[in-house]
Amino acid sequence: MLALLKLLQSLVKTLHSDGTPTQIGLGIALGAALGLTSIANVHNLLVLLLLAVLNVSFGAGMLAWAVFVPVGFMLDPLFDRVGHWLLVDATSIRSLWTTWDNTPVLALTNFDNTVVLGSLVVWLVLFVPICLASRYAVVRYRATLGERVRQSHFYKVLSASQAYNVYRWFRP
Amino acid sequence: MSTAGSVRSGGATPYGPPATGSGPSPNDTTHRKRPVIFRWRGIIPLCLGLTVVAGFWLLFGERTLRSTMEEAGTKALGAELDVADLKVHLTESAVELSGIAIADPFDARRNLLEVKRLFVELEPAPLLEKKLVVSRLTIGGVRTGTTRTRPARAVAAGGFAPSALREMQRWAKQFDVPLLSFTPIDTIKSIILDPAQLTSVKAALALAQHADSTRAGLERTYANLRLQETLDSSRALLTRLEGTNVRTLGIQGARTAVSDIRRTAAQVDSTRRRVESLAATARVAVDSLQGALRSLDDARRSDYAFARKLIKLPSFDAPDIGAALFGNVTIDKVQQALYWTTLARQYMPPGLLPKESEGPKRLRAAGTTVHFVKPQAYPRFLLRRGDLSVDVTDGPTRGSYVAAVTNVTTEPALVGAPMLFAIRRNATGTGVDSLRISGSLDHVRAQARDVLTMQAAGVELPTFPIPGLPYRANPGRGTSDLRLTLDGDQLAAHWTVATRQLTWVTDSVATKKLNTIETLVARVLTGVPALQMNADINGKLQAPKLAVSSNLDRVVADQLRSVAGQQIAAAEAKVRARVDSLVDEKSAPVKARIAELRADVDKRVADARAKLDADKQKLDAQLKAVSGGLVGLP
Repeated sequence: MLALLKLLQSLVKTLHSDGTPTQIGLGIALGAALGLTSIANVHNLLVLLLLAVLNVSFGAGMLAWAVFVPVGFMLDPLFDRVGHWLLVDATSIRSLWTTWDNTPVLALTNFDNTVVLGSLVVWLVLFVPICLASRYAVVRYRATLGERVRQSHFYKVLSASQAYNVYRWFRP
Repeated sequence: MSTAGSVRSGGATPYGPPATGSGPSPNDTTHRKRPVIFRWRGIIPLCLGLTVVAGFWLLFGERTLRSTMEEAGTKALGAELDVADLKVHLTESAVELSGIAIADPFDARRNLLEVKRLFVELEPAPLLEKKLVVSRLTIGGVRTGTTRTRPARAVAAGGFAPSALREMQRWAKQFDVPLLSFTPIDTIKSIILDPAQLTSVKAALALAQHADSTRAGLERTYANLRLQETLDSSRALLTRLEGTNVRTLGIQGARTAVSDIRRTAAQVDSTRRRVESLAATARVAVDSLQGALRSLDDARRSDYAFARKLIKLPSFDAPDIGAALFGNVTIDKVQQALYWTTLARQYMPPGLLPKESEGPKRLRAAGTTVHFVKPQAYPRFLLRRGDLSVDVTDGPTRGSYVAAVTNVTTEPALVGAPMLFAIRRNATGTGVDSLRISGSLDHVRAQARDVLTMQAAGVELPTFPIPGLPYRANPGRGTSDLRLTLDGDQLAAHWTVATRQLTWVTDSVATKKLNTIETLVARVLTGVPALQMNADINGKLQAPKLAVSSNLDRVVADQLRSVAGQQIAAAEAKVRARVDSLVDEKSAPVKARIAELRADVDKRVADARAKLDADKQKLDAQLKAVSGGLVGLP
């Protein structure tokens, strides 16, 4: 329940932040990587770094992480199949993986694992669609419901909370 | 606090309605600030996060690594692995482990190996490729065969090792070890056999079905010949042209008649060829059925053995007695050696093709990790050489040993040399005068070849029970040689045991009143002072054959033959007669059916040949008549 409330809080705050729809869309698209792909991997460190230093919505990234984790679990069999195709079935790119797997540091990326590689590739493919869809959703929300929610009691309570101050550190 | 790119507090929201007279609209691009891409202040909380991770590593890293190692090791070995302590020396790229215990996968109350301290120094560069190249390995305080304080938990989960263990247990069960029974022959009143249990009955039933399907197939082929249609067509033409000649038909009519006769003759020839083809096919099919019929006799021999075993009829064939006496102990020895060889084949596979293994355990799906190997690269794991001293504290082989191992690797094809290992006794003790174990695991080429040799002299040999008698043989000190070669899936294992100090101990647990045969056999056996046993397991791994011979089985066989030879022979004849009656009941109709099929096919083929040949001759004669002898059939 608490997690659900936090999620809701994060959603409302993100939608009403000062960030532009593009910044929020990019944040969501980057954060989706954390949820879709296995978290304990080198590429996610890079994603976290990008979320922190790029002028995109960090909150949207965290929100996307939470939202995409169950999606990632659900799509694991698909990721496994995509990864297996890339690593095993696609013999033409086998030399690429052989070089990759035997190159210092690159070998630490775990791209030799079907789920890791498959989920990363699927995320990369979905990056632009997620970004555009999120941007469109934010624009539509702000044009329709945004102001009404902003005037509501619920929003004011949420904005006054302590967590909001911490959140503002990262808002774009 | 504000961040670069954000709208100043107090300013207009980017999507709210504009305040009256409060400056330009947020959509007014002429006043919009150039978007800032980087937010460098974001690094601060990221660094804080990394500090938390580093703190977690310092507090719990080694503990987590230790439990992961225990879990992975247990899964890999198929036996519980315990590690008391683990220390990581980052600056030396080394790991120090202490209190390592590997349980015996075949005995939960024993440790296969206990290591007091193990120090592994790794080469740093290969670590960046996720590879472990051991530059220094120090092992201290190794003991084997120690008793565990608590029984090891069974490794029931998935993974290769538990399945290999189950596979080995299945492998051991496939041997048909003869029973050694001294049941009085006069107690064998009747033989109750279920025909469905007999291999030859099952084979006969299958053969009957095969014969039926062969007959149906041949019938179809025969029908497809359209023999009768060809004959009818030929006869109709002959009837039409009967009594005609070139004068009655005229030139045009004669030309048409010649053409018709030739066409019909070609049809007859074509059918004749198909008859020959059918004859050849039928011959092969019936020969194959008769070959299968002959194999019923082999199956019958195994049914005799099965029936004899069912009523515990003793055999006085020495090989059977040898297998009954030493079969299980031999299979147990070879099974253990095979288990470790199978594990080695899994973890040291030959070749350089990408190898798949189960991915790491995590909340998300583990997936499959594919290891890509290229020539002239580091293998994922390599121990170039390891030397260790081992103290065996328990069992007949207790004492100090030195061991050496070279080229332990996950990619033998990269190393280009087989893994070699050797263990030899360092000091004399109470249990054994000399012991030498050596072997090689050659997985460099596509076909793996593993050799294990164990030679022990002056060793206290383990006691073993005599099946069917309340005695245990205590071989005392003697020699034991085991050589196992696994070349591809071809297994050759040879085990010999020899001793001159054989004594006999009454088995208190199995004490019972002996019958006449048992008393006589026991009297002879317990008078034997020496043991010479040779056991072989040869053949394909999936279908190995066990052969055991020893001086004991010769003694037992001779004694049985002299005491109860006639009764056993009579009982055996009874068993054979019963098996024969059951098998004949099922196989005789099959034999008759196959013979009938052959006769039927031969008759039909001969009949078809005769009819076609006769028609061909008539057509030729008619052609000559029509053409005035100027044209003949080819």
